[in-house]
Amino acid sequence: MADVPKSMAASAQALPLSLDRKRKKEEDRELVRLSQDGTEAAFEELVRRHQQRVFALVGGILRRPEDVEDVAQQVFLKAYLGIKRFDQRAAFSTWLYKIAVNECWDYLRKKKVRPLVYEADLSEEQVSRLDGIVSADRPPEGPGARAETREVLDRMLAALPEQDRQLLVLKEMEGFSVQELAEILDLNVNTVKVRLFRARGRIMDVYRRRMDSSGKLAGSRSTQRKG
Amino acid sequence: MATETKFGYTACAKYEALLEDYLDGALELTDAKSAEQHCRDCANCRGALEQAASSVRLLRLAGPSVGPGPAFARTVMARIRAAEQERSSERAGFWQPLVSLGWRFAATATLVLGALVSYDAGWGRHAQRNLATARLTGTSDIFAPDPANPPADRDEVLMMVAETNHGK
Ligand SMILES: [Zn+2]
Repeated sequence: MADVPKSMAASAQALPLSLDRKRKKEEDRELVRLSQDGTEAAFEELVRRHQQRVFALVGGILRRPEDVEDVAQQVFLKAYLGIKRFDQRAAFSTWLYKIAVNECWDYLRKKKVRPLVYEADLSEEQVSRLDGIVSADRPPEGPGARAETREVLDRMLAALPEQDRQLLVLKEMEGFSVQELAEILDLNVNTVKVRLFRARGRIMDVYRRRMDSSGKLAGSRSTQRKG
Repeated sequence: MATETKFGYTACAKYEALLEDYLDGALELTDAKSAEQHCRDCANCRGALEQAASSVRLLRLAGPSVGPGPAFARTVMARIRAAEQERSSERAGFWQPLVSLGWRFAATATLVLGALVSYDAGWGRHAQRNLATARLTGTSDIFAPDPANPPADRDEVLMMVAETNHGK
């Protein structure tokens, strides 16, 4: 098996976050070229470089942790099979993320489910805990508390239209930029900004309604602006 | 003009994208100042921006979803190799009957080709002779070759023509 240039593999392992984007893109181009020539190790390096973001994207869209790994594998398999046809006009990451988005939609279509279905409402205890966390404005401590917060947020997000939910999750939880979201989801940058901003209002409405219904925000101004 | 939502504050439509940028810290100083100025004057935008800022705090509480395990890349490569192997064996499986047929055809074709080549060699010489004869008879009967002694090849024909012309 042919090798990836050693400096490239080493730098990718040593400084995954501090590599500047431009250099990373250049290295991606070279790795793509090598992969197109049949160098398996180069493709494996591409997998290592992009696996985290693909997981974030797939996880952000599906919100089903149990299915993320399988879909992510499928994404890289598709990329491998299609890499000879990839002309490098777009960045490899953009091309790969689009494959990921399509794979998620395929998956959801086959499973015939909404990305996330929660029938049960939040328990009073959960609301109370979330309210404590939000007003204290500090992340929940420990993996258990974090997982629970995530579950509570997922339930609230499920009340939003699918695209609003996706934009919020990918932007705020998974760290994608507005520019990236526009490219990946084939939307105009301005459209992404407007939708994101409106979605923020909606998720806060859901939050306030939950708090209102459990009496946590009694007398809050959220009810002043009804209608 | 403001867009419609049931609860909470709704920003002026033409400020929504700007406020999103402001929240994202993506504005140049002058644009940021004009956003701030508008929010001082407009209660709707001010409320909507506050609301949006709390959504950032709320959503960031959970942190990103779970990432890949340490073996992920190797698992992917193993899956790729398996898929490739399956593809190549499928390809072989699909073509197998055609391949053996192909070999039989190739063997037959070689025999036929051999026969054709030897036939063609004989026929070619014959045809060449006829051609030469036709040309010569076409020009003049005087130049007609001795039917009992036809030229063996093109060189012989040329020699014959040269000789007869020379003799003229
Ligand atoms: Zn305004």
